[in-house]
Amino acid sequence: MTSTGFILQQLVNALFLGSIYALIALGYTMVYGIIELINFAHGELFTAGAFIGLIVLSALQSVGWVDSHFILTMVIVFAMAMAYVAVLGVALEHVAYRPLRDASRLAAILSALGMSIFLSNGMMLSQGVSDRAYPSIFGAEGITVMGAKITNGQIFIILLAVALMVALQLFVHRTRLGKAMRATAQNRTMSRMLGINIDQTIRITFIIGPALGAAAGVMVGLYYGAVRFDMGFIFMIKAFAAAILGGIGSIPGAMIGGLIIGGVEVLWAAFLPSAWKDVTTFTLLILVLYFKPSGLWGQGDVEVRV
Amino acid sequence: MKKIAIVIMCVALIAGFHGMAAAKTLKIGTLSPLTGPYAQDGTDIKQGVLTAVKVFGKLPGFDKVEVLPGDSACDGGKATMAANKLINSGVQVVVGAYCSSATEPAQIPLMDAKIIMITPASTNERLTQKGYKYFFRMPPRDDVQAWSTVQFLEKKLKAKTLALIDDKQTYTAGLTANITKFAKKDNMIKIVAHEFITPGDSDFTAVLTKLKRLNPDAIYMGVYQPEGSKMIRQARKLDMKSTFISEDAVYHPKFLEVGGKAAEGVYLTFAKAPDSPERRAFEKTYKKMWNAKSIGSYAYYAYDAGMMTLAAIKKAGTADPDQLEKTIRENTWPGITGKIKFDSKGDRKLAHIIWVVKNNKFVPYWNPITGKDL
Repeated sequence: MTSTGFILQQLVNALFLGSIYALIALGYTMVYGIIELINFAHGELFTAGAFIGLIVLSALQSVGWVDSHFILTMVIVFAMAMAYVAVLGVALEHVAYRPLRDASRLAAILSALGMSIFLSNGMMLSQGVSDRAYPSIFGAEGITVMGAKITNGQIFIILLAVALMVALQLFVHRTRLGKAMRATAQNRTMSRMLGINIDQTIRITFIIGPALGAAAGVMVGLYYGAVRFDMGFIFMIKAFAAAILGGIGSIPGAMIGGLIIGGVEVLWAAFLPSAWKDVTTFTLLILVLYFKPSGLWGQGDVEVRV
Repeated sequence: MKKIAIVIMCVALIAGFHGMAAAKTLKIGTLSPLTGPYAQDGTDIKQGVLTAVKVFGKLPGFDKVEVLPGDSACDGGKATMAANKLINSGVQVVVGAYCSSATEPAQIPLMDAKIIMITPASTNERLTQKGYKYFFRMPPRDDVQAWSTVQFLEKKLKAKTLALIDDKQTYTAGLTANITKFAKKDNMIKIVAHEFITPGDSDFTAVLTKLKRLNPDAIYMGVYQPEGSKMIRQARKLDMKSTFISEDAVYHPKFLEVGGKAAEGVYLTFAKAPDSPERRAFEKTYKKMWNAKSIGSYAYYAYDAGMMTLAAIKKAGTADPDQLEKTIRENTWPGITGKIKFDSKGDRKLAHIIWVVKNNKFVPYWNPITGKDL
């Protein structure tokens, strides 16, 4: 393996992991941007997406669709997982967050933590405590560029993640609903006075954020090959760090933050002693917050800005 | 007259309570991770003990046998808390824990409370070297395991270079330290890298790519099954040419299920599985009782621990820790993992063999003691 190949391979590894973190981080950042709440149950929504993907994919595999209608199968699997988790997200908002919208922030955070435990235990009871194997859709086939091996599965997942992020950017900046979201994020009271339907805007946020998380869940299942009820926790920690690093509330911040966290994690382990991998990731987070408390793309507290 | 009546009533009450206490229940606690990444193995252990209690049936001298499951979560703090909880609920014997890093701290309160502790899974050699009288271990030790691995690498694989991966826990770090020690002593294999991963992680491509560039003859995966299954899949996707070797924590049906085709050709160390009618009967009962397709490797040891405990209590006629300890140590017990006889430290004389994954099954491959193919 040449040095170029080695570096290229590690960059692919980093890009892959970073895109997954970015997709999950978007869910945190969007919800925070709109209602200033850290949705601690987001990691569980991500896991729920992975399980729905598993159930749908297993069903489609048993009727042989994976071989005969590959693209259609993927569309159905991702669509079902995202739709189900979007419904779950809206329900979560309705049950756990809406009644507390005008209560103290601590109450909402406790409610989020409670929902996280509730969902996690629910999945434990319904899906079991152990790893569930995902059907092997992508084998070891792929392309080799200058000694770096990129599997078809990696290409598919990276492209899909990028497509979802581009679609989100277009939605937020090019549509009326997106504009309403940005306005609500800036100043909820003023937006309401101008006739924006705040409830609807929040609901849309709780559709998009969890749906992106669900897509990331399916990707993790497809690529790593196993899902478990508590797998959301480790991904949540990393994605949360990514959202904070990028500046919580900022959509491009979450994407870049995800890529940075994934990149540091992989590249540190690649070139320096791997025992220190996680220490470095979080040291970097502390350093960034020390010099720029609102994160790399953060714009400071909304109240201050207004 | 009234006073006398009250006194008689009190005496009757006390006698009554005493009579109730005499309705004797044997309480066996289990300590294993029922939550967290290793919950599969933890559940296997709990179910193994419950199966033993059911199969053994009536225990003379006791009205009933109760199993109290404790959750050690593969975490020292949680294991100690769970151990204390079991002590407070009055258990006489504890079967557990799974991770060596959970067993080690849990030993302290249990040994202080004079409770017999039998681990069905923890293999770090340190556990039996503390002079604890009431501690017994079912599986073979990690220094034996590491020795078998090094023998295999030197004599069968004839590997010249080796890379180690571990997740920094007591069990895995102990294994890689032992392998390093044995390899250095023989000086036939060069250890070219020692990499680390974090338990619970999913992505190991960075470390694997690093090892791909070094291209050692063999790579040792010192991890638990959930990480091992994902690691081998990623290694195959990277087209790595090294031979992969792993250990008893990865030796689990789940490794075959999640690893699938990627698991083919992986070598693992695990004790021999003696074929006996009792073992087959256990497999049948277990599968039926828990509606299970496959049986976790540590369910066998847990079942043996449970059966041996009950047989020893029957023989000793009491659950008193000192007499029970003596009975367990002085006798040889039948078991589905081979004959059970403990030495003065609480270890069995069990050896490992090398297994290989072939057609999605674990197949015996090589015996490090005789140096012969199996």
